[in-house]
Amino acid sequence: MKLLIVEDQPKTGHYLRQGLAEAGFTTELVADGTSGQHLALTGDYDLLILDVMLPGRDGWQILQAVRSAGLDMPVLFLTARDAVEDRVHGLELGADDYLVKPFAFSELLARVRSLLRRGSSAPQDTHLQLADLRLDLIRRRVERSGQRIDLTAKEFSLLELLLRRQGEVLPKSLIASQVWDMNFDSDTNIIEVAIRRLRLKVDDAFPNKLIHTVRGMGYVLEERPT
Amino acid sequence: MIQRLSLASRLALLFAACTAVVSLLAGVLFNHASEAHFIELDQQQLDSRLVTLRNTLQGVDSPQAFARREPQLRADLNHQPDLTLRITTAGQRWLDQAPGVALPEAPGLHSLQQAGTAYRVYNAPLSPGQPGSAQLTLILDITHHQHFLQRMQRLIWLTVGLSALATALLGAWAARSGLRPLRRMGEVAAGVSAHSLTQRLPQHQMPAELAELAQTFNAMLGRLDDAFKRLSAFSADIAHELRTPLSNLLTQTQVILTQPRPLEDYREALHSNLEELQWMAQLVNDMLYLAKADHGLLNPKREPLALADEVEALLEFFALLAEDAQVSLVCEGRAHTPGDRGMLRRALSNLLENALRFTPAGGEVRVRLADDERGVKLTVENTGEGISKDALPKLFDRFYRADPARREGSSEHAGLGLAITQSIVRAHGGRIYCESEAGWTRFVIELPKGD
Repeated sequence: MKLLIVEDQPKTGHYLRQGLAEAGFTTELVADGTSGQHLALTGDYDLLILDVMLPGRDGWQILQAVRSAGLDMPVLFLTARDAVEDRVHGLELGADDYLVKPFAFSELLARVRSLLRRGSSAPQDTHLQLADLRLDLIRRRVERSGQRIDLTAKEFSLLELLLRRQGEVLPKSLIASQVWDMNFDSDTNIIEVAIRRLRLKVDDAFPNKLIHTVRGMGYVLEERPT
Repeated sequence: MIQRLSLASRLALLFAACTAVVSLLAGVLFNHASEAHFIELDQQQLDSRLVTLRNTLQGVDSPQAFARREPQLRADLNHQPDLTLRITTAGQRWLDQAPGVALPEAPGLHSLQQAGTAYRVYNAPLSPGQPGSAQLTLILDITHHQHFLQRMQRLIWLTVGLSALATALLGAWAARSGLRPLRRMGEVAAGVSAHSLTQRLPQHQMPAELAELAQTFNAMLGRLDDAFKRLSAFSADIAHELRTPLSNLLTQTQVILTQPRPLEDYREALHSNLEELQWMAQLVNDMLYLAKADHGLLNPKREPLALADEVEALLEFFALLAEDAQVSLVCEGRAHTPGDRGMLRRALSNLLENALRFTPAGGEVRVRLADDERGVKLTVENTGEGISKDALPKLFDRFYRADPARREGSSEHAGLGLAITQSIVRAHGGRIYCESEAGWTRFVIELPKGD
């Protein structure tokens, strides 16, 4: 997966690039709008990350050029301004997502993955699995090492999300949004409680733990060497 | 031009104009009355003289007879220097003392003006009731009346002028002293600045017309003062709130970097820094949200919402937390209103979170919905200690925390939740308030009925 980052602040750009590269993406970084537009039109990228305020051409102009050239890769905007008009403007021009600084990198990564996944219509899974944990989507049953685990509906949704995006650090805000449809920044510790309960059922009785907390970032479901 | 005149000059000029008009009217009326009075006097005088003349000339019906009576007539007339006489009959004039004037011939009283002299002319037959009787024309010199009337008119004009001038001056003085409270108001207004919002107009000394204005003005000053104090406090609070995490970050990073450490220590330090930073990012985002609300940029959508469904979704979200805290969550009633789902969920979630935080184990948080023709009422009520009367009005202030122990270094709550809820409710045109007694606390949101 090849990404283009157009961001004029060197530090932000550098860390975005490093973070995305370490998450397994091929990334290119340019710091001005003019070369950003040139690369976006010619470089065959899977996703663009554009800052709005750029020297040369601004993010909106690049987006317009990209869409009028008939390219339909997802575009994610970064901006320091949280004006509603900006958001509306961006969405009208064909932006796919929008993040306001300051944002957490885990949030950005989660959104990038969502956008990239949106395009590829994977065949509908009937089962999700990690190690000895197995989730049956049709019968809505969960088993670990062959033992049946009883989950509430929300716990099932939470585990399904973790399994579908295994290996990804999922920020609390994303979990609240996907499982409970709560799309606002909330500083409640509800997600912590929910994860703790899920762990109690899924992990506690087994030696190798699958649900992990990444402090300050979120939660990840993965198999770690013990 | 007229608009630039001061109120006092305008009033003075209007007073003067009024006085001038009134005294002019009085003068004109008086003038008319005196003229009518003089005419009446002259008529009486001429009538009595006519009677005397008729007596003197009684039975005269020919020039010869007249010649016999003429000496007596002239003697009579000599005693009356202001009267001259003409006697006419069948085109002949027996006597003609008239000045060279064309005299009116119709019977009755006439007025005449000739070369600076005014006359009254009175035509009457010598022997009334006899056809062909000689015609008497009495001509009375009334110049002295005329002089009197002219003096009178001059006096009237003088009075008009002087009284207008006097009222203008007195009016100017009266208006200036009458408008003194207004000037004082201006002085207070001029003295208002960011540093002295405390000055107020003395309301009880104001005249009735200005008392209301003074009250409005004072209320405006009060609101300004309040808003300004809040703003200053807000800036100070932001600095204060950021100081704790910043100093943690600084200290920790510096300590970690002073000597080589195992990798795990660095990781631990970075994680800890991350938590502080996330808290700060959340704070900045919340403040931006409030700033947006302050600038009227929160433009809620107006989609039809079944509030009961929204509350159910939120209660489901909070269910785990409530279970942990051994608090029961209840929702009753239903209500529909147009609104912004995301914003209202955020507003309610702040209230629920707040309620859960202050409800002791075994307690209850109850959401009530009610719908009537005036609007929608939503209450979030929790059992617990209750909030003190002093704290109630400050609950929605930014950074206010009812529990001071939570203030310092608390990593979860910056004390902006209720302020954000209030902004959202206001953006929907509603209001929010809090009631509390020992044993319970209730937040009430009232939203107006949509169009």
